[in-house]
Amino acid sequence: MTYKVEEIDNKRIIHLDGEIDMDVSDKARNTILPLIEAGHEVHINLSKVEYMDSSGISVLIESKKLSEQKNTKFQLVEVSKPVEKVLAMARKFL
Amino acid sequence: MSEIAHQDHVEKKAFLVNSSSLKDVRNFCREVFEKLQIQEDLKDELVLAIAEAAQNIVKHAFKNNANANELMVVQISCENNKLQIAFYDRGTPVDPKKVKHREIDNVKPGGLGTFFIQEIMDAVEFKDGKKPWINHLVLTKQL
Repeated sequence: MTYKVEEIDNKRIIHLDGEIDMDVSDKARNTILPLIEAGHEVHINLSKVEYMDSSGISVLIESKKLSEQKNTKFQLVEVSKPVEKVLAMARKFL
Repeated sequence: MSEIAHQDHVEKKAFLVNSSSLKDVRNFCREVFEKLQIQEDLKDELVLAIAEAAQNIVKHAFKNNANANELMVVQISCENNKLQIAFYDRGTPVDPKKVKHREIDNVKPGGLGTFFIQEIMDAVEFKDGKKPWINHLVLTKQL
């Protein structure tokens, strides 16, 4: 997994790339959560994510919960088809 | 159910028990499912279920702390359009009664993997592990 962070005012758009599994979920978590913690509006671009498992979904759930606590906006944008399928299965948890 | 008659096939491979192996597990599954001509959408779901089961071995049976040379084996077999995926490992014995996904209204991360496996597969069964194995998990799906 690789990532790129785009900054627009208080908004941080995180572009994730590749496969997100247990092996790299900490890297994703350590990229996303500090930005939410710092009060930024965080958008996750998942258009180039080819695979995501429950570890990746867990990071998204944690991120959403933290953004609710911090009263900031957290949004998924441009979700790839493989991720959309996993999200559809996990939707009842989100 | 699939309208394609999938050829009978058995293939197995051993992997080191660590999170870095999960990508190799997925690639192995994709190769086998390619040979079996399983359609793309179902293939993605099966790969996810298998990878989640392998992840559970790394995370729960070995608590993320397996010896460097510890192995788990994944065997994929297809017979009469019934797909069976077997996992063998020598981790902590699994109590099947304790293997369940968390409650839907419990919005916490974790426990999703078991939910995915149960959603995707027709059956999930823990069998007695025969030596040298301790755990033997079998997932099945009618194609």
